[in-house]
Amino acid sequence: MHDWQRFVKENLVSAGVQEVLPEVVTELADHLEELYDEARSQGISESAAFHKALQEVRDWRVLAKEIRRTKSEENRMNQRTRSLWIPGMVSLLGSNAVLMILQCVGFQPRLLWVGHVGMQFYWHWLAALPLFGALGAFLSQRAQGSLRVRLAAGLSPALVLLATLCLILPWGLALHGFSFFRMVRFGIGVTNWVLLPALSLLVGVIPFLREPQSVR
Amino acid sequence: MTKRIRSKIARGSAELAILSLLAEKPLYGFEISKQIGERTSGALKFTLASLYPLLYEMEKRGWVEAHWEANAAGRDRRYYRLTTSGRRQLAPLRQEWRSFFEALDALAGVSHA
Repeated sequence: MHDWQRFVKENLVSAGVQEVLPEVVTELADHLEELYDEARSQGISESAAFHKALQEVRDWRVLAKEIRRTKSEENRMNQRTRSLWIPGMVSLLGSNAVLMILQCVGFQPRLLWVGHVGMQFYWHWLAALPLFGALGAFLSQRAQGSLRVRLAAGLSPALVLLATLCLILPWGLALHGFSFFRMVRFGIGVTNWVLLPALSLLVGVIPFLREPQSVR
Repeated sequence: MTKRIRSKIARGSAELAILSLLAEKPLYGFEISKQIGERTSGALKFTLASLYPLLYEMEKRGWVEAHWEANAAGRDRRYYRLTTSGRRQLAPLRQEWRSFFEALDALAGVSHA
């Protein structure tokens, strides 16, 4: 009696599958076993039946590659995590780290006054942002993220800042009431912390918005 | 015809064959390959190497879902069942192939009697 599970496992491992999922081994082994049993029940000799089962897989390397693609990757992390959340997080953390470092080493923001409202421009930070936009979009592209996902991953620092400001505004309005001055400050905050960073990030993202030459 | 086009046609027809079978009732891998062979009088043949990667791919896309079930002999089988998403794929896929064969028929007269 053939040990089909062992047969399948050994072939997949030698074809390069590092971690063979037990359920895959069981399923493939059952298939071969059933084919073998059916051939035997038709009066085919043991060696011919075994040979017939072997014909099911001409190249174990091709099968192993397909299984790796559909099973192993899927188990490690899902597509959205790889193409959006991780690239977006890398872009966000990187850009925030640079801002903190610039503040720590004493780079001062340029202060511009619009009426009575001051705007702080971190020119050095804005100049560094294309790098993080590019990094987020590149990582997303590498994980086969769609155009929208690549854009979102690259612009994630600006999107998070926008979400933060949108949370702060109703809070401020609830505490201090509506005023024209407050809305102007909010608009300036959006320009300063969302629009300008988004434009800067976009410079880095744009090269990665083109579709890759070959996906398959 | 390039190898790539042939491969796409083969893959598309395989997807249609599997989805159509699973639309009738849940089946396990060996049954799927056997039924396709029997119903097409051997014209379409799925080997283990061609069937399971496709089933896993369809499972990944959410077109089918699998569950283990013991048969009467107490042997565990992994049954595949069509999901709502898979069922939605079936109608346009059928229409696509119908159009394809109509086009071929108009061009080369290949429809069956």
